[in-house]
Amino acid sequence: MTGIREEMWKTRGILFNFAITDLKIRYKNSVLGVGWSILEPLLMLAVLFFVFSEMFKFEVDNFPIYLLSGIITYNFFKNGTTIALSSLSNRSSLITQIYFPRSIPAISSIFTASIMLIVELAVLGVFMVYFQFTPSLTILYLIPIYMLAFVLVLGIALGLSVLNVKFRDVEFIWGIVLHAGFFLTPIFYRFDMLPEEIRNILQLSPVVQIVEMVHHVTLYGTLPALNSILYSVGSIFIILGIGYLIFRRYQARIVEEL
Amino acid sequence: MSENSINVKNVSKKFRLYHEKRTTLFESIVGSVNRTPHYETLQVLNDISFNVKKGESFGIVGRNGSGKTTLLRILSNIYQPDSGSVETNGIVVPVLALGLGFHPDLTAITNIYQSSILLGISKKQIKEKIDDIIKFAELEKFADTKLKNFSSGMQMRLAFATAVQVDPAVLLLDEVVAVGDLNFQKKCLAVMKDFKKRGKSIVIVSHSSTSIKELCDRAMFLKDGSIEIIGNPNDVIDSYENYMSKLEK
Repeated sequence: MTGIREEMWKTRGILFNFAITDLKIRYKNSVLGVGWSILEPLLMLAVLFFVFSEMFKFEVDNFPIYLLSGIITYNFFKNGTTIALSSLSNRSSLITQIYFPRSIPAISSIFTASIMLIVELAVLGVFMVYFQFTPSLTILYLIPIYMLAFVLVLGIALGLSVLNVKFRDVEFIWGIVLHAGFFLTPIFYRFDMLPEEIRNILQLSPVVQIVEMVHHVTLYGTLPALNSILYSVGSIFIILGIGYLIFRRYQARIVEEL
Repeated sequence: MSENSINVKNVSKKFRLYHEKRTTLFESIVGSVNRTPHYETLQVLNDISFNVKKGESFGIVGRNGSGKTTLLRILSNIYQPDSGSVETNGIVVPVLALGLGFHPDLTAITNIYQSSILLGISKKQIKEKIDDIIKFAELEKFADTKLKNFSSGMQMRLAFATAVQVDPAVLLLDEVVAVGDLNFQKKCLAVMKDFKKRGKSIVIVSHSSTSIKELCDRAMFLKDGSIEIIGNPNDVIDSYENYMSKLEK
């Protein structure tokens, strides 16, 4: 364990380097470049806003802000896990030719997603100004909430990055999970619009918990309930543990599968 | 230990040779029910022991598939041996057949940074050396060109130049001696000689008998994953050529 930490420390320079090159390769030959990471959630916002506020006349206060903060938070989860998923399988030439800790691509993917998150949060700020929405100071709690989200994504990313080398269909399964997750997470509806039985099940998802927390601190100026925080922290660290165990089990032999 | 830069003790490595590789989850679920063996094991390396002294260049010869590249990958920690141990002293830089882990969509400069950082060099040190690397590889015009537009010779030159500037304790070269034109080869030879003078070790895998005889102090002939003979390069090459000409008949 100390060996791993020592190695990680020695190669820490590469974490950021990978994150930047991930972005560069992602937006290579594109005119808008990183602009795409802003445009994508905005288009999503436009569609969902039209459908739910015009067609279905949903009653959610400050709907644009509600929608955008949810999309951004879910996007962080989606981006971090999908980039990490292919981070090892995409680097086969590097991994078969130079040794470095196998966890670095997965970790740096989350840094890539974090950079995108920061850009998107800036857009959220612009929207708040435009809609003359003044959040209360509780919005500062976004920092610990996103740190918690970071740990969640890390756990899943570590597991997925090695599993996707072993089983190539993990990629497709995860795509379906993310799609379903988007609709099962209170992003374009209020959580209390759902019947209680369904809520009780969906509450188990740490992503639902995190999105709800984000709504609490940005829109309502309230803190999330203590048991919700405790549950999230507990479940997220269990996921991190499972992800790490999967990673440790497969990581040494992963090169031979590439 | 102190006069050796590589100590290899009883290293063995098996690979699984899949008949129908189970790459999808579904296939492996079906496969775990239907328990016919779907692979055979291939002993790639069998009880290999040798050492390389500081300032020594060590050659490895053998047929295709005799385990040479696998051995280099084990030396550079990319593969884990099934049993046995490998000790290395200082940074080991492998220049394997396809380069140094370069990414086709990144420019030469970015690739140098990425590979060197991975090999344990700080960003500041690379910054100082980057001009030398480009100049040595004779790629001044192509520093900002994406690697996918490079010829294979250019890629190998870049890989060699980067590896040398990292100044490793051990340099592993897989079939790269013949890279580049005559002038570049001469430069490589000069660098390698200087390397040895400064007490660094080189391991060379090659099919060219002349380059092994010229460059190496000692050599080893790998036959189907086992050491056939180890020692004076001339004897080793004789035994290797003998074996190969027998195969021909």
